[in-house]
Amino acid sequence: MSITRRRFLSWLGAAGLSTAVGNTANAASNRQFTGYPESNGVLFDNTRCIGCRKCEEGCNKVNELPQPDRAFSDLSVLDTKRRTTAKTYTIVNRYDDIRSNANGPMYRKVQCNHCLEPACASACFVRAFSKTETGAVIYDASVCVGCRYCMIACPFEIPTYEYDSAFTPRVMKCTMCYPRISKGLLPGCVEACPTEALTYGKREDLLRIGRERIRTFPERYVDYIYGENEMGGTSWLYISGAPFKEIGMREDLGITPAPKLTSGALSGVPIVVGLWPVLLTGIYAINKRKQKIEKDEKEQAVLSAVKNAEAEAEAKLADAMQKAEKEKAAAIEKAVAKALEEAAKAKEEVTVTDVEEADKKSTEEDS
Amino acid sequence: MEKGRALLCCAGILMAVVMVSILVNSPMVFGLASPIAQQLEHRADIIRIDTMKVFGKLERPPVTFFHQKHTEALEKKNKDCATCHLSEKDRMSTKYMRLQDTTKQEVMDLYHSNCISCHKETATGREKSGPVVCGECHNDQVTVISSWRPIGMDKSLHYRHSKAQDNKCEKCHHVYNKVTKTLYYAKGEEGTCRYCHREKTEDNRISLRLASHTGCIDCHRKTLAKNESAGPVTCNGCHDAGQQELIEKVKDVPRMKADQPDFVFVKATKNDEVKMNPATRMNLVPFNHKAHETYNDTCRVCHHADLRACVTCHTLEGSKEGNFVKLQQAMHRQNVDQSCMGCHEGKQSDTLCAGCHTSFEKKRQQDQSACLNCHMVPVPQLDDMKTPDERKLYAAKTLEYREAITGTYADEEIPETVEIKELMNDYEPVKLPHRKIVKTMVNRIKDNKLANYFHHDKGTVCQGCHHNSPASKKPPKCVSCHGRPFNAKDPFKPGLMAAYHRQCMECHREMGIKKPVSTDCTACHQKKF
Repeated sequence: MSITRRRFLSWLGAAGLSTAVGNTANAASNRQFTGYPESNGVLFDNTRCIGCRKCEEGCNKVNELPQPDRAFSDLSVLDTKRRTTAKTYTIVNRYDDIRSNANGPMYRKVQCNHCLEPACASACFVRAFSKTETGAVIYDASVCVGCRYCMIACPFEIPTYEYDSAFTPRVMKCTMCYPRISKGLLPGCVEACPTEALTYGKREDLLRIGRERIRTFPERYVDYIYGENEMGGTSWLYISGAPFKEIGMREDLGITPAPKLTSGALSGVPIVVGLWPVLLTGIYAINKRKQKIEKDEKEQAVLSAVKNAEAEAEAKLADAMQKAEKEKAAAIEKAVAKALEEAAKAKEEVTVTDVEEADKKSTEEDS
Repeated sequence: MEKGRALLCCAGILMAVVMVSILVNSPMVFGLASPIAQQLEHRADIIRIDTMKVFGKLERPPVTFFHQKHTEALEKKNKDCATCHLSEKDRMSTKYMRLQDTTKQEVMDLYHSNCISCHKETATGREKSGPVVCGECHNDQVTVISSWRPIGMDKSLHYRHSKAQDNKCEKCHHVYNKVTKTLYYAKGEEGTCRYCHREKTEDNRISLRLASHTGCIDCHRKTLAKNESAGPVTCNGCHDAGQQELIEKVKDVPRMKADQPDFVFVKATKNDEVKMNPATRMNLVPFNHKAHETYNDTCRVCHHADLRACVTCHTLEGSKEGNFVKLQQAMHRQNVDQSCMGCHEGKQSDTLCAGCHTSFEKKRQQDQSACLNCHMVPVPQLDDMKTPDERKLYAAKTLEYREAITGTYADEEIPETVEIKELMNDYEPVKLPHRKIVKTMVNRIKDNKLANYFHHDKGTVCQGCHHNSPASKKPPKCVSCHGRPFNAKDPFKPGLMAAYHRQCMECHREMGIKKPVSTDCTACHQKKF
């Protein structure tokens, strides 16, 4: 059996339609994960940050990270812009040329933002990352295969890798001090901050606090809470006295959670992998069966037609034969009859002729 | 086939050429920053000639014209303004080569023929000349940055002008008679130009820009022609930041004479005869008009629309003339310079004051007792005073006798040092030089009359730190309110450690106190070993 162009296209259509129908149902729902209820977060207020690096020190201590090359009290470290490394979960950067601020430099703390729907977790195919109910995004090194997709997926460039560990390298990032907050303690950085530039609490409360601070001191803050909606929302929130772009934060991220960006394509996978083979095999089988039945029926029909024709022909023949025989008989009979008649006639004629001759003779004799 | 390959070759070469030219032209290749922002010239004489706008949509981009460049070039050739500007009845038009915008074609031709012919003529003399090709004038490229600054009559400038004109106010001041449609001088009705001359020309009332450019420059030119010293006639003379600095400032300008009072009670009604119910009337506010004249450079800071009393437009109930801003709002509105509270609050951003005042929320509604700071005189006290002069005298006396000294407790009542030992983890206790801090704060504001008056109650200064509790000699300790951080039931109250640190650090930052540095922990408390 061969596939015709029309048939191939119709199959393709069916497959496409099934995928599209699955997707539409997903898109039409208004379900979006807005964080675990009562989950925690941290609000960073850069108008309060003095750039003392106590948070870095606190983080280093509670997470038992290796001692840095330069002491935490050495503030000249801030002269260069840094990012998180496998040995430092958090860093503070200084921004000197803030146009709107006459009071000198501004600072920004960098660490994992603990997204409500983390890109790292969605990129990880072994589920090494998970968003916990505490709000922390944590990492399970025991399942990690070291693909580092998480590092590429993270829009904030946070996860780092222990490149110097030859045998058991791990992905390293801030855990919001998950072990500590589970016990009811404060994250290391928050506890160490001398000015409460970091506020720890329920994310809902932090949003309220942030808004209230902005309302109370409108001239001090940019009227925006960074992280409320960025990438679908993060557990770490920021309010600032300068535009966020000026303190090195991305303003182009949008409000769509990272997993959602790929969910459309990925939601097709089960359909393609699961449904398509069934669907297409089904269509194929049905088609094949249909064709087989058709073929059988056709043969049957041909057979019966032939039979009928034969029978008919035979009947016709027989009929014809019979007729012919009849005709023959009739003809014979007719011929016999005719012969007989002729014979009789001839006999009669003779007599008639005799009579006529006699008559003639008589007439002639009369005249 | 042969043809196709040749075509492909050509396309390839073309692409390569394009890529190379893009790369070469882009400064990024050489690691250079864009030269635009840094090297642009700053000028105060930029005029965008978009005159044709009045005739409809512009066909070409407006022309960027440097006025000062042209006046300087003409001066070298001993030519004056008349080369480009026509005059009518001794008054020079600010328009180019015409008195009025006639028709589109005519105005366009006027610019094209005159500009280009002059440029051509100059060029034949082997001098540096202006453009003659369309795109050289009509382009949208940004080649300069405007350093133009507005200028206005301040008290010093006004004084110098009235002196130079022998106090003949009519030389500049005029009002408009609607019936005869003429300008005339009305003695006693002088006001700032911008009371009538607004931002845009309306009917026959020319814009402030036009009025000042014709009025000021005309007079300056005529004075200069008489070989007398006069004000600037060029753009930069008035509008360049550097040149503005050079304008002579007269210190201790004598008071302007506009029939203004020295001391007065702020009027609540337009008419003194209107009797208000004394039972519901606020206490009266005595106002030192004379002193406030010295605080500002111009009258229009407060008298933003005319020189009459505030209540003329801002009535108690609000009126159309006052844009329905009620008297109460006109006096108490925040974030505007014209209102009492707005201006006073603006003064709080001074480094002397900012330490305490930036940490307070700005509320329009203050303590009830704060009202009495200004609303000093109960109405019945004035009942027996009939004449306005008597009342003014009473206002003057009230202000004279009020206490305008920052009040503090006696030295021995102020603890000399305070040891902060509530929190001791990594560090030793802090010895706070408490009395020294109080003294410094008081000393710093001792010459500030406004501050002195509003801090006259003992304990008011203390409330800069000992906030949210009534002023008293023995305020509650910090630890009475501030405890563990992040109390969900009281989320806006900082924990004890943050309360201490922020109180000290933020105040120091706002007051511009460089030492101790906020990040130098041991400057305040020694490390524990």
